[in-house]
Amino acid sequence: MLEIIRDYGLMLLIGEYPHGKLGGLALTLIISIVSLAVTFPCAVLIALARTAQSRPLKAVASGFVHCVRAIPLLMLIFWAYFALPMVIGFPIDATYTLIIAIVIYQTAYLGEIIAAGIKGLPNGQTEAAKALGLSYIPTTFRVILPQAIFNVIPGIVNQLTTIIKESSLGSIIAVSELSYVMLQVNSNEVTKPLQIFGILAATYFILCFALSQATNWLERRIANRRTGRVIVEAVA
Amino acid sequence: MIEFQAVSKWFGSLKVIKEISATVDKGTTIVLCGPSGSGKSTLVRTVNRLEPIQEGTITVGGMDINAKSVNVNTLRTGIGFVFQQFNLFPHLTVVDNVMLPLRRIHQQSRKEALPAALLMLERVGLADKANALPADISGGQSQRVAIARSLMLKPEVLILDEPTSALDPEMVSEVLRLLRQLSGEGLTMMCVTHEMGFAREVSDRVWFLKNGKLTFNAQPELFFSSETHPDVRGFLSAIQKNH
Repeated sequence: MLEIIRDYGLMLLIGEYPHGKLGGLALTLIISIVSLAVTFPCAVLIALARTAQSRPLKAVASGFVHCVRAIPLLMLIFWAYFALPMVIGFPIDATYTLIIAIVIYQTAYLGEIIAAGIKGLPNGQTEAAKALGLSYIPTTFRVILPQAIFNVIPGIVNQLTTIIKESSLGSIIAVSELSYVMLQVNSNEVTKPLQIFGILAATYFILCFALSQATNWLERRIANRRTGRVIVEAVA
Repeated sequence: MIEFQAVSKWFGSLKVIKEISATVDKGTTIVLCGPSGSGKSTLVRTVNRLEPIQEGTITVGGMDINAKSVNVNTLRTGIGFVFQQFNLFPHLTVVDNVMLPLRRIHQQSRKEALPAALLMLERVGLADKANALPADISGGQSQRVAIARSLMLKPEVLILDEPTSALDPEMVSEVLRLLRQLSGEGLTMMCVTHEMGFAREVSDRVWFLKNGKLTFNAQPELFFSSETHPDVRGFLSAIQKNH
């Protein structure tokens, strides 16, 4: 196993870069972070539409969420990879295709998480903002969303771990992310699949476990902050 | 200042406010009391359109608040509203809660809004809690912050919906002391409360509601006298028993 890491360690980290495209773990992280960064505002819009008073808006958002949740991500990737270029008339880079598919897919899930955060807030918060004379925009962006998103940070981080794992599906459309690189290594070293996929599994595990631990830490901090225990502890 | 003309309201098929007509004069304090479910909270919530009405007219300062031309947010900036559960924003510090109306409605910067917010906090005796989070202060202090926040835009009317009901007994007095002070300063107030001592001492008129009707509307001298309405007598004796 150490032999494989020694021979292919750099490839595992950055793919063929600088002689070719950036790949490996670096590309996996870039895909994950860009996907989450694009997904987040889209998910907020879906969450606002899902919790809006306007019935048409709610229906459109609900329709989107139910449709996306009912199809596998792999199908969405295939659709974006094979069908989308035919519709728009020009090819799209496979990495962008993967990001588009993940963004569409995760917008539905993350939107539901944020919508749950909004619905979970006491009604009094909206009423208090209304009673002060605040209009929809400041009520939403200064009162409701900061609280709702704060309360669902663990869920958001959890979706990031899901995105990291989902990025491995890029190997099917030749995106040179971590799994694709390890598949190439496996083609070179045909007798060592146990070690190669062991390293792959361990890399995903370390990434996702570290994020899960970060989530637990965040959850504890949130709970302490909201109950004022931090202050009590600090004084004690 | 505030005039209710044959106001009725339904929740579904249930009529919760029944043809209420009454007037609140400028600078006076009205206390609303009555049994649970009598429509007190619903009635005061209609004044700033937190609850819509289906019949009748409500005017504030001569303006029909339900007229199409009325901007509901502008209306609400002129009517302070204090809730039973304080409804402070837990992610904002005390001073940020108090500053919020100035910053988001008057579009003031933090630097511009801060002196007025600190002055208001001093007025309610909480200047030393400016940087605390709502989770770190007591219920009585939270309610005083909520009152301070509702007064930031200098409303002409202050509505209080059971401001002391969620408080421990020892914290009730600090809130009532502040309300007495505000009443003395000539603010027009409508206060839903079961604090009959406060009603007797501070109010100009006491409204008694039962089953959505304004059953009795009198000055406190008459309201608490032996000549009062029989329903009020029953209500007051029930309150005395529970205390």
